[in-house]
Amino acid sequence: MPQSDTPPFPDSTKRRDLLATGTLALGCAGACALAVPFLNSLKNTAITSLSDNTLEVDLSTLAPGQGMTVQWQDWPVFIQRRTPQMLAALQAPAHIATLRDADSKILQQPKDATNWHRSVRPDYGVLVGICTHLGCVPTFEKPGSAPEAKGGYFCPCHGSHFDAAGRVVQRAPAPYNLPVPPVTFLSDTKIRIGHSAGDPGFSMSDIQQI
Amino acid sequence: MSSPPQTPGWLEQRFPIMSVLRREYVAFPMPRNLNALWSFGAFLIVTMAFMIASGLFLAINYTPDITQAFASVEAIDRHIPSGWFLRSLHMGGVTMLFGCLYIHIGRSLWYGSYKAPRELLWLTGLGLMLMIMVTAFAGYVLPWGQMSYWGATVVLNAVRAVPLIGRPVSELLLGGENLGNIALHRLFVLHFTMAFAILGTIALHVAALHVVKSNNPSGIDPTSPGQTLPFHPYYTSRDGFALCLFLMVYAGLVFFLPSLLTLADNYVQANPLITPRDIRPEWYFAPFYAILRAVPSRLGGLTFAAGSLAVLFALPWLDRSTVRVATQRPLVRFSLPFAFASFVLLGIAGMQPPTETWLVVSRVAMAWWFIHFLLVIPLTSEREIPS
Amino acid sequence: MTPRIRTVLLAAALAGAPAYASASTTPAQRGLVVFQQVCSACHGMEHVTFGDLAGLGLPADSIRKWAADETLPDGVDDNGDPKTRHATPSDPILAPYPNEAVARLANHGLLPPDLSRLALTLPGGADEIRRILLSYAPAPEGMKLDDGRYYNTAMKWKHIGMPPPLQDGLLTYPDGPPATTTQMASDVSAFLSWVAHPHQGERRRMGFYVLAYLALMALLTFLLQRRVWKSRR
Repeated sequence: MPQSDTPPFPDSTKRRDLLATGTLALGCAGACALAVPFLNSLKNTAITSLSDNTLEVDLSTLAPGQGMTVQWQDWPVFIQRRTPQMLAALQAPAHIATLRDADSKILQQPKDATNWHRSVRPDYGVLVGICTHLGCVPTFEKPGSAPEAKGGYFCPCHGSHFDAAGRVVQRAPAPYNLPVPPVTFLSDTKIRIGHSAGDPGFSMSDIQQI
Repeated sequence: MSSPPQTPGWLEQRFPIMSVLRREYVAFPMPRNLNALWSFGAFLIVTMAFMIASGLFLAINYTPDITQAFASVEAIDRHIPSGWFLRSLHMGGVTMLFGCLYIHIGRSLWYGSYKAPRELLWLTGLGLMLMIMVTAFAGYVLPWGQMSYWGATVVLNAVRAVPLIGRPVSELLLGGENLGNIALHRLFVLHFTMAFAILGTIALHVAALHVVKSNNPSGIDPTSPGQTLPFHPYYTSRDGFALCLFLMVYAGLVFFLPSLLTLADNYVQANPLITPRDIRPEWYFAPFYAILRAVPSRLGGLTFAAGSLAVLFALPWLDRSTVRVATQRPLVRFSLPFAFASFVLLGIAGMQPPTETWLVVSRVAMAWWFIHFLLVIPLTSEREIPS
Repeated sequence: MTPRIRTVLLAAALAGAPAYASASTTPAQRGLVVFQQVCSACHGMEHVTFGDLAGLGLPADSIRKWAADETLPDGVDDNGDPKTRHATPSDPILAPYPNEAVARLANHGLLPPDLSRLALTLPGGADEIRRILLSYAPAPEGMKLDDGRYYNTAMKWKHIGMPPPLQDGLLTYPDGPPATTTQMASDVSAFLSWVAHPHQGERRRMGFYVLAYLALMALLTFLLQRRVWKSRR
């Protein structure tokens, strides 16, 4: 471009001085501060809410061997009334040898469910039905209708297997056992999900993975 | 800076963005004598950026469904973190946008910026104004308050009264006989899409400006480089200062005068069984509403309201005078301020109850608007002796 | 400086503030008590949740307790009968009526308006609410009012559908001045004003910071542009 086409530049533009840099920096700082309310609006409001988020479930209609699914904090929660055969299957040494974390060493449950049946009471299993692999919802499968069949959870997405206590088998892609929510028995047939009497300090945000 | 680059760099060879930016936004020649009125274009671009940013974040939390729209807007105002701020920014932005738009257009009228060779600049600008009006109308329906509902009802019935195209267009917008869920969803999509169409048209408008360059208060285009100044740093620094003052007004509106942002009746959920007692438009539509009311015929009112804008589109061809600036034209200098005053008066009249006095005021103001553009301007173009 | 101390200082600074005005309760907080014990018998605030009252300084425990005391309709049970549940802090504060028809049946065919934005939508705002609450009087001789209408000088036609809601000593503030009608009317209008503009305080505070920042930027850009334009050749 020929020099004559461009209008004259001032001399001062060559100089980087305090006033220009300061104004520019303060302007950029203001623009960044303006971004704060915008990003703020994307925050999850449920975290700051005061709700205690507990759910009472009546178990009186649940026959041995039957299961039900309830929704708690937008998660599917599997409640299973276990038969003596299922409980026996959970303790079989041959079965335990196939599990990744048979003794529930990894924090995926409150303290009062850190046991071989992964529940407060052996005859009721309560699990958050979210596969620890990539978050699909497993289904309960009982091979055959024989009462001694042990049953377990099977994830349709990538074939992860969990036993009736939600313990993951070694050959599955899922890394951890199914999470156990905090549960309190209000009576023999009524539970409250969301608060654990045996481990009051437990919170779902403490667990390894959901 | 003065030494020419030896060889173009890697980026320059493939995509000469740096040299284009330098040519159009650094070394771009600007007249030396621009006044503060030339900053309103910058204000408009900044306001538009605020509108699109806040609009996107509002859309994230908005539900376009007649049973939930009002509640979702209430939730934005009350429960979404900083939601009240985003919404105020968006509502205040409309006022700032139309305020700047009308001043920007007024400046073009006064300094003759619509005349050759800037006709396309003027027409794209007026097109932008129409698009912003449509977008503002569609956006105003979204909160589904009483004013949203009844404003939309009145406007859509007005559209329907237009001969030939009115019925199909209103059916296209409504998707049914009445203003309901389908219409709300369509208006939401229209509002959202128009925002980006406006962005594209702004690009056209700015591109047109960079071809014909800025007009200036003398009305005589600079002929030598000595009569111009580079855009940067002269007009970047001046627009920067002007923008700070403009943003102070905007912030004052958003933070201290929230009651001016919208009519209180819009905080009552839409009720198709009750029309609010004092229904009136927002201020930026008030002049056209006043014209609708001032003409005692439905089709007549629509014709005059549309005509008041149509004369602006025809202006480059109505005004044959080669003198751009109104101050150098004795008759226009006298007549144009009255046309501006007419517009303001129509705006005031449109927000008052339709009493006999205000109807007379509206009619006189409307008459002057048309007299100015259809009689004074064409008749004086040839005969006026420039002062 | 804790908010409490600041409130004390503020209260002391305000000339003419009544000596018995307790430091821990603001008019809006006392107005909440009036709402809970009087207004909520007929009115709701459907866009306000129990948890929102945290913004007024109500402690989390009080919010939970208040919410737990309220029952909400909760679909139908296995027999198809309507069920209710206790409210949680994230639930809205609803009117006590299950639907509009019941509300109208209980109020001579009128619907008690929702109070979420009343101080914004009622012409005259919170002051008008206070004026209406204080404008009840016995109907003058010879004036006959329909059933369910009450004489009120604040209204255009001198009557209103809401029975006089306040009387002296109707309630006792847990920590505050005696609950006279005037006191309660002022407090409840302050409360409804807060409900209609819950972010007013934050809005003003942020506004001052933004204006201060923009004023500084305006000064800097003014100096910058003056220097640039002076160097013009």
